[in-house]
Amino acid sequence: MSGRVIVITSGKGGVGKTTTNANIGTALAKAGNKVVMIDTDLGLRNLDLLLGLENRIVYTIVDVVEERCKLKQALVKDKKNPNLCLLAAAQTRDKTAVTQEQLKDICDQLKKDYDFILVDCPAGIEQGFQNAVAGATEAIVVTTPEMSAVRDADRIIGLLEAKEEIESYKLLLNRVRPNLIKSNDMMSVEDVVEILSADLIGIIPEDTGIITSTNKGEPIVNDEKSLAGRAYMNVARRIMGEDVPFMNLEEETSVVAKVKKFFKGLMGKEK
Amino acid sequence: MDKGYIENGFIVDLSNARKTSEIIYELSRILDIPEAQNKQVCLKLGSVDLSQTELTSIKALVESMDSEIEFISTRSTETAEAAKALEIEISELENIVEAPDFEMETSVTPEVETALDKIFGDTDFDKDEDEPQQEVKEMEESFHFIDDEDEEDEETIAMKAEAEKLPTLYIKKTIRSGQSITSDGNLIIVGDVNPGAEVIAKGDITVWGILGGIAHAGSEGNSQARIRALKMNAIQLRIADIFARRPDGVNTPFVQKTNEFIPEEAKIFKKNIIINKLLEN
Repeated sequence: MSGRVIVITSGKGGVGKTTTNANIGTALAKAGNKVVMIDTDLGLRNLDLLLGLENRIVYTIVDVVEERCKLKQALVKDKKNPNLCLLAAAQTRDKTAVTQEQLKDICDQLKKDYDFILVDCPAGIEQGFQNAVAGATEAIVVTTPEMSAVRDADRIIGLLEAKEEIESYKLLLNRVRPNLIKSNDMMSVEDVVEILSADLIGIIPEDTGIITSTNKGEPIVNDEKSLAGRAYMNVARRIMGEDVPFMNLEEETSVVAKVKKFFKGLMGKEK
Repeated sequence: MDKGYIENGFIVDLSNARKTSEIIYELSRILDIPEAQNKQVCLKLGSVDLSQTELTSIKALVESMDSEIEFISTRSTETAEAAKALEIEISELENIVEAPDFEMETSVTPEVETALDKIFGDTDFDKDEDEPQQEVKEMEESFHFIDDEDEEDEETIAMKAEAEKLPTLYIKKTIRSGQSITSDGNLIIVGDVNPGAEVIAKGDITVWGILGGIAHAGSEGNSQARIRALKMNAIQLRIADIFARRPDGVNTPFVQKTNEFIPEEAKIFKKNIIINKLLEN
């Protein structure tokens, strides 16, 4: 078996790399794949928190690299899904504790046993980014419909294109607010795709449920009612090669809109 | 010249540092504390190789805080030579710190290793290579006061006595995420230990505040070591070779600060870590 190594990156911080990683990882595992997530954000780790696995971490990637434990010993199994596990970052060290070769080596070892290896990349384009990208052959670039995030995504795509190992990259547009797009206060999905001229793999709507799910340590894909959760599930299906149409967010977002539409219908009939 | 302290001064343990930059960073952080100024400083430099220039800048840093380097201890010959050239006294720290039984220390390590093998052996890691392996038991919370005296064999008594003989590192500040404090003896922290931070000590750990990170007492195998805190909210507790994690249901990232904390103490009881509330009785 040779698994796919996908790095999830963005350049800019706070656009939702880690959230995306946790959710796509969980979704892929739910679909029956064996998934391992690697947190390469040494010193500022978060992925364990989002998955609610913080209290289970004994060994980290630095312990693996410095040979204090075997790779398999350092994998933390998810609470719910036995197909999913996490290789946590060390919190008390910095990015220099791991080198590109070491990360590539870890990815190569994991490839043998897992279908998907998702690498969570730190913000920035320095060593942390270089490390995270080292073992990957595919990339997902996360951005939001804001000029600063799009600019940084453009920079990242440029860097990814320069790397021979990266065979393909896809764009994931996060925190989209259809209402704002409608009122011309936000860049539309088409605008972003046009600026970056990259293939889209998903559009995730802004969802307040993300905040609760982060605090609870429970990825939102586990909540099938949530719109963002469904959108992430669709991304996972697209990664697996299925052809899933994009959700029409405008229609699906608000209950209020649905009610209004319903009443409009009634009024129409009366006239 | 009391345990771990010298007259009008203190010992800074930098033996875990791997690079000069780490030493300078740690040192500048410590010297920033007002209490650390105008003192005699002893530096434990471990095995880092320092050139004469680097040592000069460390010396200048210490002097800029109105303190003075009393002496240094080092395992590196390069550092030792640099110190000689700068007329800094080199000394073995062990001679200054009273009491700790260093023969004991070396003999403990192999035991810890076998013990670690044992806990990992229990989870049959070798039999099932496919299964990810990190499994940590939840910590048990006990509200009754359990009798200390289960089996007091000679070894237990010796371990208890050992902790009392060890030097104590006293730190008065909040330990934040990403910071790691290691003590060769006991450790007292007046302040909180935030989630993401770790505190490690050969002996006991006492946190006069909220313990929210990882604490490892008896790091070299002393199973009689204790962890105490005003509020126990630790992600993980480790005593000697026994690990315990916070139960999943208990998700309290932030603890409300009140004056009504009941101090708690964690210890090993029948190969599990238990937490006792220290109630008045």
